[in-house]
Amino acid sequence: MSRENIESRNEPVAGEKLIELRVNSQVYVLRVGRGPGELDPAHTLAFTLRETLGLTGTKVSCDKGACGGCTVLREAEAVLSCMLLTIECGGKEITTIEGLKDAKTGALDPLQQSFIDHSAFQCGYCTPGMIMSSKALLTANPSPAEEEIKEALSGNFCRCISQYQVVEAVKAVSGKKG
Amino acid sequence: MKTFDHYDAHSLDEALGLLANRCGKARINAGGTDLLGLLKDGVLPRYPELIVNIKTIPGLGYIEEDGERLRIGALARLCELAGSKLLRERYAVLCEAAGAVAGPQIRNVATVGGNLCQDVRCWYYRYPAHLGGTMECARKGRGPCFAIKGDNRYHAILGGRKCFAVCPSDLAVAFAALGGQMTIVSPRGERKIAVGDFYSPLGNGLADDEIVKEIDVAKAFGPGRQRFLKFTVRKPIDFAIVSVAAVTEEKNGVFANARIAIGGVAPGPFRAEKAEEKLIGKKPSEALAAEAAEAAVEGARPLSKNGWKIEVAKALITRVIGS
Amino acid sequence: MAQPYRYIGKATPRKDGLDIVTGESRFVDDLKFERLLHGVVVRSPHAHAMIKSIDSAGAKGLEGVRAVLTREDIPDFKYGNPRVFRLLDRKVRYVGDAVALIAAESEQIAREAAGLVAIDYHVLPAVFDDYEAMEPGAPQLYEEFPGNVLPLGDPFLGQKSMVEIRTGDVADGLSEADVIIAGKCGYDNLPNPMPMESPRVVASWGRGVEGRDCVTFWISNQAPYLMKVILGAILGANLDVRVFGGPCGGSFGSKLMSWQPMCYAALLSKNTGRPVKVVYSKEEHLGSFVLRPSSRLDIKVGMKKDGTVTAIAGDWLIGTGCYSQTTQAQVAVGCGEAMIALRCKNWSVKPKIVCTNRTASGIARGFGGQELKCALFPILSRGMEKLQIDPLDFMKKNFIKPGDGYLWRDAQWYDYRGISFTAMMDRGAEVFGWKQKWKGWLTPTSVEGAKRIGIGVGVHGNADVGEDVSEAYVRIDSNGSIVVHSCLQEHGTGQRSNGAKVVAEVLQTPLEWVSMTPADTMVNPFEFGPFGSRGTYVILGAIIRAAEDARSKLFEVAAPMLGCAASELDTADGYIWAKSAPKRRVRWQRALFQRTILGYGRFEPDYSLSNCLMSFVEVEVDTETGNLVLQRVVNATDVGQIIDPQGLAGQLCGCLGTAGIDSAIFEETILDSSTGRILNANMIDYKWRTSSEMPTIDNVVFQTPMPTHRFHAIGVGEIATAPGPSAVLMAASNAIGAWLDSYPVTPCKVLRALGKVGNAGNKQRAHTARKRGAGD
Ligand SMILES: Cc1cc2nc3c(=O)[nH]c(=O)nc-3n(C[C@@H](O)[C@@H](O)[C@H](O)COP(=O)(O)OP(=O)(O)OC[C@H]3O[C@@H](n4cnc5c(N)ncnc54)[C@H](O)[C@@H]3O)c2cc1C
Ligand code: FES
Ligand code: FES
Repeated sequence: MSRENIESRNEPVAGEKLIELRVNSQVYVLRVGRGPGELDPAHTLAFTLRETLGLTGTKVSCDKGACGGCTVLREAEAVLSCMLLTIECGGKEITTIEGLKDAKTGALDPLQQSFIDHSAFQCGYCTPGMIMSSKALLTANPSPAEEEIKEALSGNFCRCISQYQVVEAVKAVSGKKG
Repeated sequence: MKTFDHYDAHSLDEALGLLANRCGKARINAGGTDLLGLLKDGVLPRYPELIVNIKTIPGLGYIEEDGERLRIGALARLCELAGSKLLRERYAVLCEAAGAVAGPQIRNVATVGGNLCQDVRCWYYRYPAHLGGTMECARKGRGPCFAIKGDNRYHAILGGRKCFAVCPSDLAVAFAALGGQMTIVSPRGERKIAVGDFYSPLGNGLADDEIVKEIDVAKAFGPGRQRFLKFTVRKPIDFAIVSVAAVTEEKNGVFANARIAIGGVAPGPFRAEKAEEKLIGKKPSEALAAEAAEAAVEGARPLSKNGWKIEVAKALITRVIGS
Repeated sequence: MAQPYRYIGKATPRKDGLDIVTGESRFVDDLKFERLLHGVVVRSPHAHAMIKSIDSAGAKGLEGVRAVLTREDIPDFKYGNPRVFRLLDRKVRYVGDAVALIAAESEQIAREAAGLVAIDYHVLPAVFDDYEAMEPGAPQLYEEFPGNVLPLGDPFLGQKSMVEIRTGDVADGLSEADVIIAGKCGYDNLPNPMPMESPRVVASWGRGVEGRDCVTFWISNQAPYLMKVILGAILGANLDVRVFGGPCGGSFGSKLMSWQPMCYAALLSKNTGRPVKVVYSKEEHLGSFVLRPSSRLDIKVGMKKDGTVTAIAGDWLIGTGCYSQTTQAQVAVGCGEAMIALRCKNWSVKPKIVCTNRTASGIARGFGGQELKCALFPILSRGMEKLQIDPLDFMKKNFIKPGDGYLWRDAQWYDYRGISFTAMMDRGAEVFGWKQKWKGWLTPTSVEGAKRIGIGVGVHGNADVGEDVSEAYVRIDSNGSIVVHSCLQEHGTGQRSNGAKVVAEVLQTPLEWVSMTPADTMVNPFEFGPFGSRGTYVILGAIIRAAEDARSKLFEVAAPMLGCAASELDTADGYIWAKSAPKRRVRWQRALFQRTILGYGRFEPDYSLSNCLMSFVEVEVDTETGNLVLQRVVNATDVGQIIDPQGLAGQLCGCLGTAGIDSAIFEETILDSSTGRILNANMIDYKWRTSSEMPTIDNVVFQTPMPTHRFHAIGVGEIATAPGPSAVLMAASNAIGAWLDSYPVTPCKVLRALGKVGNAGNKQRAHTARKRGAGD
C-alpha cells in the first residue's frame, strides 16, 4: 500500500448522499445533510425513528446502550437504536414496536396480547423494548426455557420491576410452556 | 452528539487513507457501542471530524481455524464468538468471555476489534461534558489522575502509572491467556503485537492511522482446560471488577502447561506468570490453587480504596484453577 | 375469601394496555408540537461558587439558538421549604447547578450553545458531609441558614407539623430497660429512585381564553393538579396555569420536584413565544435531580427481655443536599412511621435537616420512614441480639395494634382504628420458613464452603394511606356512557384503570362503558396525586363516592318513572328497577333523555389507619469475594380487599428497585469527596437489577376488610421498598457472623467485616505497599 495511493482517494462530501431506510416494511429515503429534516451523520437510529419518522414507540432512556429501552429489530436481531448511526442502517430491515401488529389485519402480535393479559408492565416505559427483545428471542428460539428468557431480557431495564410478569407473558406464548 | 462527517469504507486501504488524511481527526466506527458513548458524553479531547465506518469492508468477520492458527477478523461480532461451535469446543475462554460482555443487544453489534480497542471506563475520565464539564485528567494529557486521591474502588491494583484506569475488555483477558496476537495495519504496512502487550497505562498501542485487522491464536497446546470467570456487581451490563481466564493442560496428573490472565486489575490483561510457574509440574489441588493465587497478586499495590480487589482476584484464581 | 364482586379483586386488563404494547402511549416526549423549541440547562462545574459574570454572546450567536437566559433575564422565582431557593441564583451550590437556560431549534444546537456560554466563577470551599456541614467554620450554603441547618416543619401538613418524636419520659423508660444500646447507623448512600423516563416537560406560554396570561404544561409526573398549585404559587397569581398529565414513565415520588424544569421551559417559552421542551438526559437525571435523603441516627434504646422497647432517644440527622422541598414533610411522616412500627411509650428523637453541596434530596418511595427505619433497625438489632430476641417476634410484638395510637405528621395524636397484622405476619413467616431458617443472631442459616446463607426481616407501616384530599366527578352522559373526572395520572400503579373499575362496580356496568378524563387540570377537580399509598383509599374513595352520588341522582330521576322511592331502586347493565319488582325495568337512556348526571365525591384526610408490609429476605454471601446474592423475598401484607391482583403483584415486586431493597445491595450515588461530582451518573455505573438476577418473590396477601371505603381496601404500593433494606443488612450480618451496618453491603464491606481487608478496603499490608511508592 503506497502513500500516494492512499492520499489520492476522495474524501466524503456531506449532502450528496441518500440513505434508504427500511422500517416496518416501508422504505424511507433520507438525504444526508445538516438542514432541517435531513439526516445528520450524527443522528442515531433512535433519533431518526422518533424525531424524523415520528415512530415514537421506541423509547430512549439512558441513550448510552445500558437500558434496552430503545431496542428494535435489525433483520430479526435485537439491537439498541441509540447506539447505531442511522447513516449506517441503510439496506437492513428495521422493525419497531409499531411494526409488530399485522400490517393488513391490524391484529396484535401474540406477544403483545400476552403482555396485556399478564399486565406485564407498570408505567409501560420499558415495555416496547421488552417486547422487541422478547420478539427477537422467540424468532430465534420459539421454545425458550425460563433461564433463556431472562437472559434474553437481561439488557432491558425496568425500574417498576415488571420482569416477573414479563417472563410469564413470554412463557405463555412460547412453544414449550413452563 | 455533535456532528461529524461520515464515510463508509469499502476496503482497508480506503479506511487507512481516510485516517491518514485527517491526521488524528478521524475515528473508526465498528459496532459503535463504545465510540458513540464517548462522543455523546463529549469525553474525547479531540472530537473527530470524520467517522469512518468499517463495517462496510467485506470479509473481516470471519472466525476460522487454518492449520496451526485460529483467526478472527476484527469485525466478527461478539454474538458470533459466543455462539461459535468451534470456539466452544476448542477456545472456550473466548466463547465465555464474549458471552460475558454487556447484554444481548450489545453483543449483536459489538465487534472483536472494537472490544479490544475500547476506551477505559474510569468514571473521572468518562465524566460527561454536559454535567458541569469533563474532567481534565492525565489520560487526556492534562491534569492529575483523579483516582489516586479520589474514589478508586475499581481502579488498578497492578501496573498503574500516571493513570490508574483498568482495561475494560473481557476479550483481552481471554486472548491474553490464549497468547493471542493482533495484526495491525497502517499506511506503513502490517505489524503484529501480542494482545497482552497492546495496552499501557495511558492508552492502547494503536497509532491514529492504524486499524486492527485480525486477532489470531496459535495452537500452542491442546484445548486443555479453559475457564473464564468474571466478577461484577451484577451479571449483565457490567464491566469486570476482576476477571480471570485460565488455560491449563495436565499430563500424567500434573500441570504441563498453564496460562493465566487477570482482567480488571491493570491497564491491560495481567499475565500471572508467577502463578503459572507455581503450577507447572505439580498435581492439581485446592492448596496449590491457593498458593498460585497468592503468587499471582504478589506485586499488587492497591490505591486507597481498592485493596479488596486483591482478595477477589485470589478467590477467582483459586476457583479457576482449583475446581 | 369469597368475592362478592363483579370486577373488584379480579384481574382485568389495564385500560392503557393496548397503547402500551403497541407503542401508541404518548409520553411527554412523544407529543407533537408545532414550532417546538428545545431547552437545555447550562450547568456549573463547581460545587460551590459565586458567579462573577456570564458572557452568552457566543451561545446567542450560534445559528438556531433562540434564547439564552441568565439570572438577570428572569423574574426572581423562589420555591422550596422554606421558600428561599432561587431558580437561578448568584451562587451555585452543587456540580450541575443551573446557571443559564438555552432554547434552540434542536437539542443538538442547544447543547452545543451551552458549551459556548462563558462563565467566570469565584470558587468557594464546599462541604459534602452532613456532619461536617454543621461544624463551625464549615462553608455556608445560604445566608438564611447559619450552620447549614434548615428549619423543620412543612406548611403543607397544616398549622403544625411533626418536628420531633416526643412522648413519655425517656429517663424513666431507660431505667426500666434490661439492656440499653447506644448506637449510630446511617442510611446515607443516596440511592436514586431513577424512574426509567427522566424528568421532562413541555411548556407553552400564551394568552388564555379571557386574554389573561396562561401557561400550559405537559408533564411527566404523578401529580398534575399539585403541580398546577405549586407552579401557580411560583409564577404568580395573575397567571392561569394549566397542566396536562399524560402517561408517566415512572416517578416513585421524585418527579413532584419538577418545579425547576417546569419553570425553565415556561420562561424559555415566554421569552421565545414558542412551546419549549426540556428533557433531562439520564446523566442530568442522576446528577442534578432528586436523590433519597441521607439519614444518620445516633440514639440510645432501652429494651426489655420480652422485646418491649422502653425508650428511644437521640438525634436524627437528615441530609437534604443543596435544598429542600419536601424533606421536612418526609421527616414528619418518618417520625410517625417509626411510632407505628414501634409501640414504645417513651420517645425523644430530635431530627435536624442539614444542607450540603450536592444535588437535592427529595421524595422517594418510602417517604422519610424508610430513611429513618433503615438506620433504626440495625441499632435495634444489637439490642435484640443481646437479649436473644427473634426479630420476627420483636416486630410482631411492636407493630401497632388496635387500641394503640401514634403522633402523625400534623403532630396530632391518632387512635388507631385498624386491624392487627399479626396473623398475616405469621403466615408470611410460614411461607418463608422463618422458624426453620432462623438460627439465632449472627448465625448463618447454612454454610457451604465459602457460601453462607443468612436471613432477615423488616416491617413498615404508613398512615398516609388516608392522606390529603381527593375530589372526583362521575358523569353519566345521555347515551349512558360514563366519564370519571379525576386528575389522576397513570404512572404505573394501574390506578386509572382501577378508577374505572370501581365505578363499573358501583354502577354495575360493563367496564368498557367507563372512561377517565385525561388528567387535565382544566376539566378536573382537585387531586393531590397518588403518593404515600393513598391511591386506593383516598383517590378511589373519592371516585367511589362520586359514583355513588351519580347513582343516587340517577335513581332520583328514574324514581317517578318507576313510581317508587329512589332508595328502593337498583341498577345493572344500564337498567333500573325497583328491588321489589325487578321485572319492570327502565333503561338508563330513558332516564337520561336530554340529561347529564354529575356525581361528586370528596375525600377528607383520615390518618387513623395504617397499612403494613413485612419483608423476609434470604441472602447468600460469598465470604471469599464478599459477593452478596439476594435469593428470596417473601412480602406479607394485608390489603383489606384486592382491587386488581396483577397490579398489586407488580407493586409488591417493586420492592427491589426504585431505591428499595437494592439500596442495601448495590444501589448508591457515589459522590467524589474532593470535587463533589457524582461519579456514577449513568446507568452503567449506577447499578440496577437485571432480569437474569431476579430473586424468587412470594407475596402473601391477606384480605381482612378494613374500615375504609365501600370495598374495604387499603393501599400498599408506596411502602413496598421500605422494609427490605434493613432486612438485607440483618440477613448479611447473620450470614457472615459479623455486624454490617452500612448501606449498601458491597463486597468490600463484607471482606472488611470479615477482617480480610483493612478499613479503607485494603489489605492491612497495603499501607506499606503505598509507602513503597505506588499510587501517585
Ligand atoms: C452498557 C455497556 C456494557 C458493556 N459491557 C462490557 C463488558 O462487560 N465487557 C466488555 O469487554 N465491554 C463492554 N462494553 C464495551 C463494548 O462497547 C465493547 O465490549 C464492544 O465490544 C466494543 O465493540 P464495538 O465494535 O462496538 O466498538 P466501537 O465502539 O466501534 O469501537 C471502540 C473503539 O475502538 C476503535 N476501533 C473499533 N474497531 C477497530 C479496529 N478494527 N481497529 C482499530 N480501532 C478500532 C474505535 O475507533 C473506538 O475508539 C459495554 C458497553 C456498554 C455500552
Ligand atoms: S436508550 Fe438505548 S440502551 Fe438505553
Ligand atoms: S414498567 Fe416502568 S420501567 Fe418497566
